Amino acid sequence: MLARFFEAQGFATLLITNMPYWAEKIGVPRTLAVEHPFGQPLGKPGDGQRQRQVLLQALTLLEQAQQPGQIWQDETPWEEDLEEAIRNWQPLRPSPIIRYLQPRIRDLIRHKGQFRV
Amino acid sequence: MVDSFKFLPRLIAAFYRNQQPLVEGEIPWTPLTKPLSQCKLSLITTAGLYCKDDQPPFDTEREQKEPTWGDASYRSIPTDRSPDQIGLSHLHINPQPILQDLNVVFPIQHLRELAAKGRIGSLAAQAYSFMGYQGFPPNPRAWLETSAPQVAAALHEEGVDGLLLTPV
Repeated sequence: MLARFFEAQGFATLLITNMPYWAEKIGVPRTLAVEHPFGQPLGKPGDGQRQRQVLLQALTLLEQAQQPGQIWQDETPWEEDLEEAIRNWQPLRPSPIIRYLQPRIRDLIRHKGQFRV
Repeated sequence: MVDSFKFLPRLIAAFYRNQQPLVEGEIPWTPLTKPLSQCKLSLITTAGLYCKDDQPPFDTEREQKEPTWGDASYRSIPTDRSPDQIGLSHLHINPQPILQDLNVVFPIQHLRELAAKGRIGSLAAQAYSFMGYQGFPPNPRAWLETSAPQVAAALHEEGVDGLLLTPV
């Protein structure tokens, strides 16, 4: 949503995300998709090489894109046991909304919701 | 293809799949009008970053009391601040990787090096952080009506050409 806004305001934007699903649904000007857990779009702490690699790809797409909506896929696997990676990106204490919704989560899943972008 | 649902707990993934964003209009488009080596770039994240010395954190206390509310304000982060001067206030992610190495979400150091090498023209003096949780149901309109226009004005004032966005 922010990418669309700032692009409309006259800035060339590049989104680095692990959820290209949303980028495609919403329609984002330029997207680099990385298969990383939440909170680490550039890579792991201390992994300067990977961080620079992601950044350089992002800049290349920013430079080369000729029309809106491109999504480049970087499929480099995330080197961590999947169950641990899923646990590790989450906060130690579940967020207030998760605690609030917990009793109702199954009803919510069945509810098809819409939200304005 | 990158699996957007790979790292999501199963129930959250199921919930997301049922959500439909209501999108109006074409994808906005601002082409770059000059080579990247002449462009000034800035950075926008939703990691809830703030300058510890002179800015309040995002209002996670209010969010604790009102779980369906998210802080729609922003922080302007000077790009010459060192990582130890930058704090994080976000209740929906583990902050540890970011606190260990700010570059995982806010690669200012790398961008500065790239500017020195001429890969990009320059790094803007200011970068920006929002805080990604915008209420339930998600209400990005709060950003679009309040903070984002202020950030856009500041970016225009600085003559920024391009933006990297790094959500969490």
